Amino acid sequence: MKRSIPFFGLCISVFAYALAGHQAPTSSPKLVNFDRDVLPILSQHCYKCHGPDATKAAAGLRLDSFSSVAIAKGSPEKSLLIHRVSDKNPGSRMPPEDSGVKPLKPNEIAIISQWIKQGAQYEKHWSYIPPTMPKMPVVKNLTWSKNPMDRFVLAKLEGTNLKPEPEADKDTLALRASQVLTGLPPSPAELDEFRRDSKPGSYERYVDQLMAKPSYGEHQARYWLDAVRYSDTHGLQLDNERGVYPYRDWVVRSLNQDLPFKNFIEWQLAGDLLPNPTTEQRVATGYVRMNLTSNEGGAIADEFLARNTFDRVDTTSTVMLGLTVQCAKCHDHKYDPIKQKDYYGLYAFFNSTKDEPLDGNITLPPPFIRASTPEQEARLVAMTSKLMELRQSVDLSKAAAQITAQKVAIPTTKGWQISPVYAEKSFDEAFDRAEAPESNTGATVPWKPFDFEVGKDFANIVKIDNASVYVRGTVVMPTAQTFSFGVSTDDAVKVWLNGKLIHSHKIGRALNSEVDRVVGEFKAGENELLVKIINGSSIDGLNIRLFDPNTKVLMDALAAHQKSPNTEKSKIDLATAFLELGPSSDSSAEYRTLIKERTAFEGSIPMSLVAEEMPKPRPAFILKRGDYLQKGDMVQRHIPDVLGSIPAGTKIDRLGFAQWLTSPANPLVNRVFVNRIWQQYFGTAIVKTTDDFGSQGEWPQNQPLLDFLAVSFAQNGGSMKKLNRMIVTSATFRQSSQITKEKLTKDPENRLISRGPRFRMDAEVIRDKALYSGGILVQQLGGRGFKPYQPDGLWEGASDPASSTHIYEQDHGMAIYRRSMYLFWKRTAPPPSMLLLDAPLRDTCVVRRSTTNTPLQALTTENEPAFLEASRTMAQRILSQRSDDAGRLKFAYELTVARAPKPAESELLMKGLAYYRKKYLADPASAKKLISIGEAPVAKGISASEQASWMIICSTLMNTDEFLTIH
Amino acid sequence: MDPTREAELLMTRRQLFGNTTLGIGTAALSRLLTVGGLGSIAGLAEAFGEQGRHGIPGIPNFAPKAKRVIFLFMSGGPSQLDLWDFKPKLAELFNTDLPDSVRRGQRVTTMTSGQTRFPIAPSKYKFKQYDNGSDGIFVSELLPHTASVVKELCVVKSMWTEAINHDPATTFIQTGSQIPGRPSMGSWLSYGLGSLNDNLPTYIVLHSKVSSNKPNQAVYPRLWGSGFLPSEYQGVAFRSQGDAVLYLKDPEGMDRETRRVMLDNVEALNHQALGHFGDPEIAARIKQYELAYQLQASVPDLMDLSKETQETFDLYGKEAHEPGTFAANCLLARRMVQKGVRFIQIFHRGWDLHNNLTGDLPSQTKDVDQACAALIKDLKRTGLLDETLVVWAGEFGRTVYCQGPLSADNYGRDHHPRAFTIWMAGGGVKPGMVYGNTDDFGYNIVDKDGKIIDPSVEDFTPGAVHVHDLQATILNQLGIDHTKLTYHYQGRDFRLTDVHGHVVKDLLK
Repeated sequence: MKRSIPFFGLCISVFAYALAGHQAPTSSPKLVNFDRDVLPILSQHCYKCHGPDATKAAAGLRLDSFSSVAIAKGSPEKSLLIHRVSDKNPGSRMPPEDSGVKPLKPNEIAIISQWIKQGAQYEKHWSYIPPTMPKMPVVKNLTWSKNPMDRFVLAKLEGTNLKPEPEADKDTLALRASQVLTGLPPSPAELDEFRRDSKPGSYERYVDQLMAKPSYGEHQARYWLDAVRYSDTHGLQLDNERGVYPYRDWVVRSLNQDLPFKNFIEWQLAGDLLPNPTTEQRVATGYVRMNLTSNEGGAIADEFLARNTFDRVDTTSTVMLGLTVQCAKCHDHKYDPIKQKDYYGLYAFFNSTKDEPLDGNITLPPPFIRASTPEQEARLVAMTSKLMELRQSVDLSKAAAQITAQKVAIPTTKGWQISPVYAEKSFDEAFDRAEAPESNTGATVPWKPFDFEVGKDFANIVKIDNASVYVRGTVVMPTAQTFSFGVSTDDAVKVWLNGKLIHSHKIGRALNSEVDRVVGEFKAGENELLVKIINGSSIDGLNIRLFDPNTKVLMDALAAHQKSPNTEKSKIDLATAFLELGPSSDSSAEYRTLIKERTAFEGSIPMSLVAEEMPKPRPAFILKRGDYLQKGDMVQRHIPDVLGSIPAGTKIDRLGFAQWLTSPANPLVNRVFVNRIWQQYFGTAIVKTTDDFGSQGEWPQNQPLLDFLAVSFAQNGGSMKKLNRMIVTSATFRQSSQITKEKLTKDPENRLISRGPRFRMDAEVIRDKALYSGGILVQQLGGRGFKPYQPDGLWEGASDPASSTHIYEQDHGMAIYRRSMYLFWKRTAPPPSMLLLDAPLRDTCVVRRSTTNTPLQALTTENEPAFLEASRTMAQRILSQRSDDAGRLKFAYELTVARAPKPAESELLMKGLAYYRKKYLADPASAKKLISIGEAPVAKGISASEQASWMIICSTLMNTDEFLTIH
Repeated sequence: MDPTREAELLMTRRQLFGNTTLGIGTAALSRLLTVGGLGSIAGLAEAFGEQGRHGIPGIPNFAPKAKRVIFLFMSGGPSQLDLWDFKPKLAELFNTDLPDSVRRGQRVTTMTSGQTRFPIAPSKYKFKQYDNGSDGIFVSELLPHTASVVKELCVVKSMWTEAINHDPATTFIQTGSQIPGRPSMGSWLSYGLGSLNDNLPTYIVLHSKVSSNKPNQAVYPRLWGSGFLPSEYQGVAFRSQGDAVLYLKDPEGMDRETRRVMLDNVEALNHQALGHFGDPEIAARIKQYELAYQLQASVPDLMDLSKETQETFDLYGKEAHEPGTFAANCLLARRMVQKGVRFIQIFHRGWDLHNNLTGDLPSQTKDVDQACAALIKDLKRTGLLDETLVVWAGEFGRTVYCQGPLSADNYGRDHHPRAFTIWMAGGGVKPGMVYGNTDDFGYNIVDKDGKIIDPSVEDFTPGAVHVHDLQATILNQLGIDHTKLTYHYQGRDFRLTDVHGHVVKDLLK
């Protein structure tokens, strides 16, 4: 078999290929680069059988390493590889017909030939080599760039003979910057200030102002929350509510405070393993808990342990590394050098947290903590120190004297009796039912004498479950008095004094686990005390102590203090008991109020799920085919070889993993992150496949630019604000987004950034912008997810009735006007208008949303009540704040697209307005109906027809492409 | 096509059609449903002048037998032992222990793994043999109507799945993976084959009311979601309360003329923007607004059953008058098929009968039995059955052993993934067919000689039908080689059948 490819033809093909270049053009088009040009071909056509998956290396041939016998360096015509792939006979051609892989195209063969001719040098895949600061490119246009980043963009444009677009006008820039940084348009005042600022640097100042707004962190957090699949429910089966929103609020706070990227990552992955972790560092580990969970009836814990861990590994590798390791769950990765053993090496970092694999269907499957913010913590600390101050101010000798004086004699008792046992069907009934001893029906009770003694435990007097028994006796008091005493029961209790109910406590508990303090008005002489003990299940019991339990606590504290008077603890304990339980005084009143306040305040701080590591890690095994039942070899925690290893001296746990991730040696993390940030601002990232930096992913459109961004991000201490500022203040970003015919041909997707960004905004931004234009957006930071208007039956119709999120209870008032990022996110039924506008379900990691354009989206922005209501309140706003039609339209344009209307637009909309006016003046009933949408109050003193007509104008503007699009 | 040229073309068309009323312009525009959703308007020229939207090049791979699918999904896992898989020998084994030789150490759910015994619960229901045009088939007394169409059915008694709980098993049969995130079957078809119609979604989901008041398994958007495919391919859930399609109706106080004027203004403003920015995406948006206007008329028309004949209602039963019943949904499915909807998925829930099975199963079958038969007959008489594949299936079957209290009259059954029954009809599958066998306990799949088959995921096991095999077979009927309908995502070509699945040729005409 002798067939060589004419060299001349080969050169032409390669050249043509490089020119057609959807891949990065190089300075020398004839030079082939293994990683960029050859690897994608081999990976696509050959690696299925001859790639890194060692078990599949057909005929012992691997085409991903240096020792391939199929390649004769320098001589394509002598290389078996070339012969086999260009074989005309389909029977002997590679790849084989039945492999499901397509044959190579002539230009692909030409590229491989050229590479062999060049010497067949293998190179490590670009993304596995740590980035270094690239050389500043030489550019012809020396005036355009506003910062070094621009030079990298410009070099690329000049290489393609394209010129950048001129800078967009000020209004456009103001709107664009505000929307990409904060997810909201500028307020009219901010816009005015920026317009008036004619001094140099006005745009930079404006950008700084935007980044200082709390809405910056909210908007930026949204992208991260998509990636980590944040939601307010567990996601599987019942899909019950999950308590983890403090994590979401922490992300917002961190971004607003510009927490360095290293900390941002380390806290989330392993905050719990840091030395003496703060509350915030622990709340951040909500990241680890973000996987979907279930407690479906019949579910097998081991199966879900594996599933949950897969979810964590897959998400972490996509979000942090841009690697699709999940292929290696079942076998060595076919395309990237990730072995199955490596997958389970990563798995081993995540399989040993304390949370149970099944969530118990509860809101807070442990572990969780009270997620106080630093401000809240500061307030708690202030309260605690004030309490301590009060304790220290107690005069202990005076206290001792007062406690001693308080001592009371224990009254005598007699005639104790016990009733029969009353059995009921349930604990509730046993507690509620008034049996003969307490009812006034006159039924005689067969009381029996009871050898009872106060201060002693009496166990098993009810004996059966869901039943009660009554005990009564006579208490003899020397004088009439208010008297406090202690009652302890297993389980619940009710107490009557002289026929009057004075205490009731419905609870399941063990005897003496707590003592109820009961206060009664006793008369002089004999008093009848009646006690009902209600048993829920198993053991029961009663103990009555005829003295004030508070007195006992005080005396115990005093005794302890007297025993060791000089220890700090005994002093503080005595002071605490005295302030809490001793005689009333100014300081005790202050103390008690403060305690109450502190308890209430603490109770208002939500709990949040966190990660905690088991003391001893679970062993990890290779799971064959990813099946939890098919355990293979045991594996140790480790990093895939190709990505290096955890630095020596670092503990091999989640923290070590996080430290490896954020170490300068890591080739991927910074690139992956800056790449996604680029996507935020330009719609498409430098590596379009933001979720795949492996050999099947896209070669970077502009690697020097990517590496420049990654390296300067690291050099700036991982400051996300500095990164965002650099991009948003660049000449690149400031270009006009008008598209010329030339650029539509040469740069159709704007991958070279030959113009400003132009893409439809995300669902959340569209809704927020509508509400903002309507003047009804409520900007309250953080808190539990809210539930706005929603069509009936969306939750009820498809969920399990046992779910805690089965019934949708809409919020009212201010809550429904909050920013969309705070929408209560139920994974199995997310807010419908968000889904229709391409928001992901949040059940898997999404780092690149699809942006579609469908009729259902048009219906949403036309008819969804929140949009209609916003157009109505916007109409009220412009009607009440401007006095003539021209002024009103101008204001409407300002609020929606931050510019003045053009004459043609005014003319068109005024015609429309005339039509609506005529219509609604003739039909005021319809006008009233139209403006009744939504819960916001309807403006009084403005005619319904006028409101309705302008409402349609506002809705018209909210449905324009310009409103919906970053431009 | 060159994007500049596309934009020019579109402009020309706009001038041709005008932009004001429902004239030829909007009708033609409406053919372009969701073309170029991803920002490009490639394929626009091809789509133009022909009904519907094109799929991806090369699909279908060969001539299809079926154009459409109606998937009747019985969520919860119907009991094959009480409906289809007749096991007369069990009567004598009432309350005896399931032999270890049958269970063979296979895993059971944690709902019954704690039981000290696995006592056999024979079906309480009588089975009768019906003529299906070949060897006959036994059908339970609970399905008299379905039994009347067995000559049209291809019944598979040897389905099996890998999952043992609802959420993973349902996600598996709907998306080919137990773990959420993959596109549903309907989305794959919508993506691959495109649309057959002008003005309705390609993939519609209908939820059915359930008569029994037992708690139901949840069903949720990921089951008809588009996973990593662009979200335009996700199923559109039609509702029986409120608007059939979310936000379809204009607000009260706005009539159609007013909406028309408003939309004309939106369009005019968008055209000005198109002139200014030159972004073809604006042209695509103009089109979507027009389509939305069309949907507002076509959907109510579709949902309006008032023109259906009495004869039809007699066929489906009186429940078909009540919106949201399974019967009404089946009738709607037939209407959708007529209007060129590609994939219709009807969910019916409540089949998860762990206890009081005989108390609840009759109400379940009453909900669906007549309508299933009616749908087959209706499609047949309207000549649509040949090109429409109907599938009836749950996510798994139920155990022969009892869960909870056992008496001759009542019992419960746990989830059973190792063998269960489904049926198909029309769309080029063999009518009057029974495929596959199970052992005397309905527990394991067996071959003709009664020998237990251990089916493998890796290779096709004749006599057993894995979920991926079912998916491959359905795709095959639509002219698709299941290994070729792929989508490149995260470095890999994904497909509905993962790396498995075989077309079960024995089921096909």
